[in-house]
Amino acid sequence: MKNKKLFSMLAALVFVASSPIFAADVKVIANPSVSATSVSSGDIQSVFLLDKDSLGGSHVQPVLVKGGAAHEAFLKEYLGKNDSALQAFYRSLVFTGKASMPKSVANDAEVVAYVAKTKGAVGYVSAAASTEGVKTLEVK
Amino acid sequence: MRLVIGRFMAAAALAALSFSPTLHAQEFKFFDRTVQVHGFGSQGYVKTDGNNWLTMNTSDDGSFHMTDVGLNLSSPLIDKLRAGAQVYDHNLGQLGQWHPSLDWAFLDFRAKQWLGFRGGKVKTTVGLFTDTQDLDFLRTFALLPQSVYPIDMRDANIAHSGGDVYGRVPLAQRMGKLDYTVWSGHRNDSMHGGYAYFLQYHGTVENSYGGLQYGGDVRWETPVKGLLLGISRLDEDLIGIGTRAGLPNVEKTKKDFTNQFFGQYIHKNLEIDSEFKRQYRDHILRNGTAEDQGNLHAWYVAGSYRLFKRVSAGSYYSHYTATSTFNKILDTDLPDGHVYDKAITGRVDINRFWNVKVEGHFMDGYALASFPEGFYPQQNQTFASTTNGLVMKTGFNF
Repeated sequence: MKNKKLFSMLAALVFVASSPIFAADVKVIANPSVSATSVSSGDIQSVFLLDKDSLGGSHVQPVLVKGGAAHEAFLKEYLGKNDSALQAFYRSLVFTGKASMPKSVANDAEVVAYVAKTKGAVGYVSAAASTEGVKTLEVK
Repeated sequence: MRLVIGRFMAAAALAALSFSPTLHAQEFKFFDRTVQVHGFGSQGYVKTDGNNWLTMNTSDDGSFHMTDVGLNLSSPLIDKLRAGAQVYDHNLGQLGQWHPSLDWAFLDFRAKQWLGFRGGKVKTTVGLFTDTQDLDFLRTFALLPQSVYPIDMRDANIAHSGGDVYGRVPLAQRMGKLDYTVWSGHRNDSMHGGYAYFLQYHGTVENSYGGLQYGGDVRWETPVKGLLLGISRLDEDLIGIGTRAGLPNVEKTKKDFTNQFFGQYIHKNLEIDSEFKRQYRDHILRNGTAEDQGNLHAWYVAGSYRLFKRVSAGSYYSHYTATSTFNKILDTDLPDGHVYDKAITGRVDINRFWNVKVEGHFMDGYALASFPEGFYPQQNQTFASTTNGLVMKTGFNF
């Protein structure tokens, strides 16, 4: 029994150690004009896959980071696509006229700056990033 | 041959090095609205044994007459209303011939997630790739399975002037999501496309070919992650007006429909696509003095895998059979009634915007029923029953 418990703890530890990326590593942020304070992961997916352009009645537009750990974590947790698949998806929409390419910026600081100044902007940053001037959305 | 491949690779590398630093989407402001500019282009080289292919003289030294370019502008006008347009130009052997066309140009109003409207010249949503068939940077393959997406007939169903109603509906109890598109409009074929060129061999010069088309597409994003299933239906009422032996000539649809069933599975770096298409076509020809009933069955299974970040490989089997009562092609076991194509491809992404592909095709048959399937009598005085082909292509997008 004791061995079983020890094995379970060890397995959990190995799982935690081998998973470099977690949802907790990413914060979803929005311009203060966005009325929603909490969103579902399905809402996040719909907004970033350009399926939905409103949250809680506010018009929204996604902003992405061009790469990095927070970007990878966000794609894995919410969009279920890797970066090349996501870019191909966006391009298929852009070149058939079905959507415009979402804004993408270089790093967390640029995301926060863009979201802070752009009405309706929704983005994501690493958990440690400063989010002054924007609101953090609770993801249910 | 080695010299040609060497030149092709050198040209691709040089072009990539020369242009990649400037290959970024452009934006500018127009009346306080952000306008995005995107473009793409590709250059191909095709070499075959057996028959000449795709209206090119491919069986001697091969042909570089395979080029296309597109450029689009789009902008959100207000929150739910967008506008955009794309110009497309291409040359494929004797087709296209650098006559630019308005690929799409429309207003798009998305009232709700489940209800949107597009009006203008709109890309037609049929199957997995009809609307994106020109965009070869989206996929591993240099040529899509030609049974369902023949590049020489690209202009036939790629767009309509009219409107779409579309939307996405989440299903209850986590049963996935349904995307739907219903459309109606006017199809207007290029006089530099494969069908018009094919008819020239039979003494008919078309001045116009097109008409009403309407249909719908439903695709189900299933609860199985990465699995998409769908069905499309297309009905057409077409008329071709031209001359034959110097006299007026009219061709009209009696009945013309297409059913297409498709599935796609994407898991990590693996993508598997499969489609089945059936087209029935009953046309009155030569001012009502003749009739042609054509029956087309096509399907393919394609798989591709991203081996490394910038390297992917893929393969497909493409199966095409067609009959024509007028041309007396009724036995699809004979080579003029089918094309069976096995293809294998490698793709290397030089950078995010530039790729190079090498693809081998191993084809059985040359299908010459109601319309062509890559092989034309103008380039082939006699037909070989099999053709092997090499396609090399390099493309960019921004």
